[in-house]
Amino acid sequence: MTKFLAVVKREYLTRVRTKMFIVFTILGPLMIFLFTVGPALIAGIKTGATRVAIIDRTEGEKMYGRVRDSILKKDDGEGVAAQQQKQQQNANAATEMPGARRVPAGTADASYVVEQASLGGRSVEEVSGELNEKVRRNELDGYVILPPDILQDGEVKFYARNVGDMFTRGQLRDRISRAVRDQRMDEEKIPADLIDRINKPVNMTAINSESGKQESEGSFFFVLIVGFLIYIMIIMYGQVILAAVVEEKETRIAEMLFSSVRSFPLLLGKLIGVSLVALTQFVIWGLAFGAVAVWVIPQLAQSGANVSLPSVPPVFFLYFFLFFLLGYFVYATLYALVGSVVTTTQEGGQLAMPILFMLIIGFYFAFPVIRSPNSSLTFWVSMFPFFSPITMIVRIVTQTPPLWQILLSLVIGYGTVVLLMWLAARIYRTGMLMYGKRATIPEILRWIRQT
Amino acid sequence: MSENAYTLTLSGVTKSFDEFTAVDDLSLRVRPGRIFGLIGPNGAGKTTTIRMIVNITAPDEGRIELFGHEMTTELQDRIGYLPEERGLYKKMKVIDQLRFFGELKNVKGKRADEAIDRWLERVKLTEWKTKKAMELSKGMQQKIQFIAAVMHDPDLMILDEPFSGLDPVAQELLKEVVLELKAEGKTIIFSTHQMEMAERICDDICMINKSRKVLDGSLRQIKSSFGRNAVALRAEGGEAVLEDKSLVVNVERHSDEVEVLLAQGADAQSLLRRLLEAGAKVGKFELVEPSLNDIFIAKVEESE
Repeated sequence: MTKFLAVVKREYLTRVRTKMFIVFTILGPLMIFLFTVGPALIAGIKTGATRVAIIDRTEGEKMYGRVRDSILKKDDGEGVAAQQQKQQQNANAATEMPGARRVPAGTADASYVVEQASLGGRSVEEVSGELNEKVRRNELDGYVILPPDILQDGEVKFYARNVGDMFTRGQLRDRISRAVRDQRMDEEKIPADLIDRINKPVNMTAINSESGKQESEGSFFFVLIVGFLIYIMIIMYGQVILAAVVEEKETRIAEMLFSSVRSFPLLLGKLIGVSLVALTQFVIWGLAFGAVAVWVIPQLAQSGANVSLPSVPPVFFLYFFLFFLLGYFVYATLYALVGSVVTTTQEGGQLAMPILFMLIIGFYFAFPVIRSPNSSLTFWVSMFPFFSPITMIVRIVTQTPPLWQILLSLVIGYGTVVLLMWLAARIYRTGMLMYGKRATIPEILRWIRQT
Repeated sequence: MSENAYTLTLSGVTKSFDEFTAVDDLSLRVRPGRIFGLIGPNGAGKTTTIRMIVNITAPDEGRIELFGHEMTTELQDRIGYLPEERGLYKKMKVIDQLRFFGELKNVKGKRADEAIDRWLERVKLTEWKTKKAMELSKGMQQKIQFIAAVMHDPDLMILDEPFSGLDPVAQELLKEVVLELKAEGKTIIFSTHQMEMAERICDDICMINKSRKVLDGSLRQIKSSFGRNAVALRAEGGEAVLEDKSLVVNVERHSDEVEVLLAQGADAQSLLRRLLEAGAKVGKFELVEPSLNDIFIAKVEESE
């Protein structure tokens, strides 16, 4: 026991004292924020307006105006802010300007510039050629041809250099459809205010069924941050274990150690020592965020800023702790196993690739879990011990599953940990003393069978 | 068997790795308070034998008894082991490493610190106490490893090639320390492939070659039983005579003379006669005790 504690103590103290630990403790939260919220922000950045020309071949070019207006308006319910503004507008339209010319619903969208390309007696081919030339010269991003029979079932054609931009393509189709729909209703003599009332979207607020509080967009990021945090910490500390095991093998310290302590307490001491380092990091971060929550947020709120923290029940922290440790022990044990059969750190990195892939797949499963927390896919991936540390915690945050499922996932997970450790200890014992070459699979299988 | 009879007993110990038998039916006994040399060429099975003694691996067959008991984890603490393949944690301070290795042998706190200070003083590395291992030269690291093996005051010390990689001054220092430990009544197993080194410090030896024991016993006994069948020779000419395998088994060349090991049944007189007949000018012709190396070669030839 003393020897085991000596191993734990050494692993813990040598790592907590390193500069790397201090640097990551400080920069870690920033990094995690950048990796989760960052991509969403980047995806939202627009790179200048899309310039579109429209050739209207309908009778009297009657569709152009409506299509232009529609393209320049955001869709119904596109973003919360847009929706709120829209309601405001509708209210205004209904009260202040009864019977006035109907203003198409939606807010202005500056991401498009629309111009009309009049045929003016020329053939469609001639005008297309002209527009193609403009697209080539980058004076235009694309153009749309509205067929004469658009109100029946005519096909709209969209020409552009970058037709692969699915986002723009989809948006154009939806907005042209909206214009066509409005035109049809107009021609059926349906009054404008009736159309407005019919088109009026429902208002919806998301309320967490357990806490009874309103959920904002922030919750999604919170779920993602939690999943990513577990993912990145497992990778980091798994690599630490890999490096530690390879170091003892490379420097032949293993032989000294094995003459004093059995291989199992040595391996376990190493895993536990490093896990304490990770937990120390979590505690520091937890205290820092606690301080922010207690002092900074109320001040910001007082000064009028619209900030709020996602509501988290205390039991969540227990689950987080249990599932982080589960993931850590599953993967760190695998990393230790790899470390004991290779000869250098580089070789270890190569052989550990499948482990990393498994972890990445587990992380990507977080997305279907967030989208449909009740599907059978979600159930199975939150039971599979190599994915559950990420998927189950994401599930708990998104929509807490029945307690029996959480417990079952933990039992399967920790059962796997015991099995893996038994396996790793056997391989470790022999592998650590084999110098010179990487062990082959048949050799490893033989070590496992040895008593 | 009482504790005093033998420090260590191996009976019929065999260890195989797959097809390869690393140690084959090895029996040996190590007496307390003596320096026991486990000698043989590289790959003979020395390290495998030692790993079984220190309880890193278990023998497939046979028994190992330490201080009269079957090997246990507790008994491991009474052994100090300096492996041939050795290292230190590169980024850890000397003092922290030694404290750690002490703790692994159940030596902690003040007792450990005192032992560390005493030993650092003895090997003249006191000022390196708070340096990281990577700042030390290879020889210095080796001294630290030696301290790690002996700081818990073990009754049995196993040193696997302790002199390799040390400069002559450090070698001399280590030899002194080993002899001091012996004077304190410690038992020392010393494994090497350098016969001359073994010859200088061992009381008893066990020679192994190709996984099997070739011979064992006290060094004095072995040497005297071999008789004076070696000749220290300084001569000009007569090289052809030395190549006659019925007369000469081995020729070891030193700087200004050769040591000739006579074949069994051949006598020194006939060698001298043959040399003179061949027209050699003999400057020195002296019957000497065979070196361990000679004995080893003779024994290996005999067994093959």
